[in-house]
Amino acid sequence: MREILVLAEHRKGVLRDITWEMLSLGKELAEKMEAQLTTVLPGYEVKSLADELSTQADLVLLVEDERLQNFSSMAYQQVLSTLITTRKPIITLIGHTACGIDLAPGLAAALGMPLATDCLSLTLTEKELTAVRQIYGGKVNAEVACSCEKGCIATIRAGVVSPWGEETRKGKVEVIQSPSLEGISRQRFIEYVEAAIGGVDITQADIIVAIGRGIQDKENIPLAEELAKALGGTLACSRPIVDKKWLPKAHQVGTSGKTVRPKAYIALGISGAFQHIVGMKDSGVIIAVNKDPRAPIFEVADYGIVCDLFDFMPVLKEKAKELLQRR
Amino acid sequence: MKTTITSITKKQTLAQEYDLLGCMQCGKCTAACPVAMRSHLNIRKLMQEALTHESLNPIPMKELWDCTCCSTCTIYCPRELKPNELIINLRGILVEEGHVPTTIRDALESVFKQGNPWGGAKNKRAEWATDLHLKDATRDKEIEVVYFVGCTPSYDPRVQEVARALVKSFNKAGVNFGILGNEERCCGNEVRRMGEEGLFEILIEDNTNVFQKLDVKTMVTTSPHCYNTFKNEYPETHFEIQHYTQYVANLIATGKLTFCGEVDKVVTYHDPCFLGKQNKVFDAPRSIIDSIPGVKFIEFDRSRERSLCCEGGGGRMWVDASDSGERLAEVRVRDAVEMGVQIILTACPFCLLNLEDATKTIGYEDKIQVMDIMELVSQVI
Amino acid sequence: MDIIVCVKKVPDTREAELIITKDGKDIEKGELVCDINEWDRYAVEEAIRLKEELGGSVTAVAVTPDEDEDLLRKCLAMGADRAIMVKDESFRGSDAHVIATALHHIIKDLPFDLVFTGVQAEDDGYAQVGGILAGFLKVPHATLVTQIEVLERKVQVHRELEEALMEVVELDMPAVCTIQTGINEPRYVSIMGIRKAAKKEMKTLNTSDLGLTEEELGDSASKVKIKGLSLPPSGKGAEILKGSTGEIATKVASILKSKGVLA
Repeated sequence: MREILVLAEHRKGVLRDITWEMLSLGKELAEKMEAQLTTVLPGYEVKSLADELSTQADLVLLVEDERLQNFSSMAYQQVLSTLITTRKPIITLIGHTACGIDLAPGLAAALGMPLATDCLSLTLTEKELTAVRQIYGGKVNAEVACSCEKGCIATIRAGVVSPWGEETRKGKVEVIQSPSLEGISRQRFIEYVEAAIGGVDITQADIIVAIGRGIQDKENIPLAEELAKALGGTLACSRPIVDKKWLPKAHQVGTSGKTVRPKAYIALGISGAFQHIVGMKDSGVIIAVNKDPRAPIFEVADYGIVCDLFDFMPVLKEKAKELLQRR
Repeated sequence: MKTTITSITKKQTLAQEYDLLGCMQCGKCTAACPVAMRSHLNIRKLMQEALTHESLNPIPMKELWDCTCCSTCTIYCPRELKPNELIINLRGILVEEGHVPTTIRDALESVFKQGNPWGGAKNKRAEWATDLHLKDATRDKEIEVVYFVGCTPSYDPRVQEVARALVKSFNKAGVNFGILGNEERCCGNEVRRMGEEGLFEILIEDNTNVFQKLDVKTMVTTSPHCYNTFKNEYPETHFEIQHYTQYVANLIATGKLTFCGEVDKVVTYHDPCFLGKQNKVFDAPRSIIDSIPGVKFIEFDRSRERSLCCEGGGGRMWVDASDSGERLAEVRVRDAVEMGVQIILTACPFCLLNLEDATKTIGYEDKIQVMDIMELVSQVI
Repeated sequence: MDIIVCVKKVPDTREAELIITKDGKDIEKGELVCDINEWDRYAVEEAIRLKEELGGSVTAVAVTPDEDEDLLRKCLAMGADRAIMVKDESFRGSDAHVIATALHHIIKDLPFDLVFTGVQAEDDGYAQVGGILAGFLKVPHATLVTQIEVLERKVQVHRELEEALMEVVELDMPAVCTIQTGINEPRYVSIMGIRKAAKKEMKTLNTSDLGLTEEELGDSASKVKIKGLSLPPSGKGAEILKGSTGEIATKVASILKSKGVLA
């Protein structure tokens, strides 16, 4: 039976969203290619996760081993390369996440397979995989292709595919013996640590005013802070602002910061790198202010304002004050 | 640390290069220094240390970046030494060793890559003037005046207004002028003062190559900073270099630029350090203001040679002072409000930005306006 | 501590208007300013900091179709001890697999404790070279590294995961790390520094020096190929609000009210 293989990603006993997103994409591909949708779950004492996965896959391959308790690219590579070599799936889907970035390149090299990373969408034919990905910081879309005749691997960007909410399959769970996992001790998981976080909790905010590179200078941050205050909101930022140490890490929205879902998200001078967008795209309403009409942030925003944010901030601040006074 | 080795060799030349033995430690430099009141920077002490210490290691001296290069210390030195140049030299050591604040680093890299310190794209330099259809001074051989716009008026939307106002005046007066468009590069005045001598040399070379192609009589700059370095630090040019206040004052005096309205306002004028103190251009801006019908002009107590620095020079647009305390621009705005002034006029992009910013930070936006002289002129021509 | 850092030069596209080339497979780069890839810059800085602390050497290597001497001069000026550039036209359009193959051929004969690459490149953003290279070198690796501590014959690194979580991982040396931005503050490279670095050793090799075969090179060797590029339409998703700043602010306020905030 032809197969589409999906790597189930989990951390601290919970399946991560990307897993459901990939199963959703995998389901589409499996239907088109008349293939079976199989997911592989490496871990330790994760039977309950396997049962969860069986609601959306035809087959769950459960590989349990104490050494697989936490993600290790070396151990995972051995598990997957053994499975891929024996089962020969048409394609293997892996999340373009901290796990996938660590795992996929080495795996593809070991198998001698083509690898398309950070894909937004996939099209599969008998011979070829075509993927859409973004290059130049999201300013250009690229269609890339590789052969899938001898198998291929793609890593999928988080948050791009909508997961199926309901049960779509009643799959079996098959327990697979883990491979020998030789040599993996050269890479050792020690622990998880929370990034140093200050007092603010941006995930609890109803309204977020977020600043990016466009704020230009640390000195301009109070302008945005005042606006946030006038709106009754919380100040957040994109990664460059934290890199520059203009705001503490706790304010950062995005893959390496916090994922937020406020009722309203106002992005000021944020161009919209995907690492940022992933962390805020599910907000109730997104309003983006940017000088560059081509800024990728406008792709996800509900409303766009093409102007200088320094013109806009004080005016909106006054408007907000006015409204709140009238109340 | 290998820095010390560099510092020692530097130091041996420092005493000679800056004639430090001539310093009698009178302290006039520190007394005159405008940032001394809000910084650890003590220029008198620095002069002594540079002379007497075995190895002067500037790396821990964060206050070196507080200097605005306004040159007041140098002007006040009774022995005609150049304390300000000593600071630039010490910054040069920091730059060479890579120990510069990240914001200074970004500004310098932007100059190297994009030809401006503001991170704007090189090929968008003339974008502000797209709708103005200005002549290209590098191609048009008929023009008489080349307008050197400068980085800040090219990229900063607020200061673009000043460039537009100046263009409007040139057009009204029938000046046959053009700009360098995307061939214009940073003048390097700030770059040199941030201690990046190597990059400054490259800019001189690049700009000089462009200048040689020009067939004009005069170059007019928006910024006193560009004016200063072109006039005093570049190789001699075959055309005259003027700050716009000089050129426009002459347009008015010769009747080429006339007014058709009145400004019923009380105004004062803030002397930019690089125009006033350093180049003694005090009267041209005042004569323009005087000629604007209706204007009531009053002087700051600290004016002309004694003008208070706005803290925008010497790279300070890209780095904060190491100590807090009231910004000098805020002092300036408070003084003006107390004098009953409605508009502070100035003639420098950095002064404009800093003073306007100060009106906001102390909440005087409604009480007082900050404008470039050209902005006021363009309202009544 | 001998560290090898792999670097790449990329066009700075942040502020620029991009134009797709006629063949649809690249962007026009003539007007763009090129510089060291942002991630690689942090990688070079990290290598130099470790060398300054622990002694040893830093070697910068680049595999490129273009004359990227300035890229390596910059690395040397930052503090790298030597640089190796492999220049060959056939690297144009190469995928990560080909680049990693070439890097492997350079590195395999050099002594090293650590190899650094950036997490990804600003241009193609594949985030693959470090992982593939580690596989070729048969050494452990860690990607998305935000902190490195060198211990006895091993390194302890922090990897950046999602949701503000970090993972601490130990690697036996030799090892490969792909470096995340923000791990340090890269130093300024002065023009004088670059001039002084001209005295440092820089080797330029070609592909035959490395013993690379035709099959291992270029477009034909690349497993993943670009079919075509396109520019996303501007503001596709967003309704662009027009009018005076005041009018726009009023609209924004009413949108916020309709969403149950500011009401």
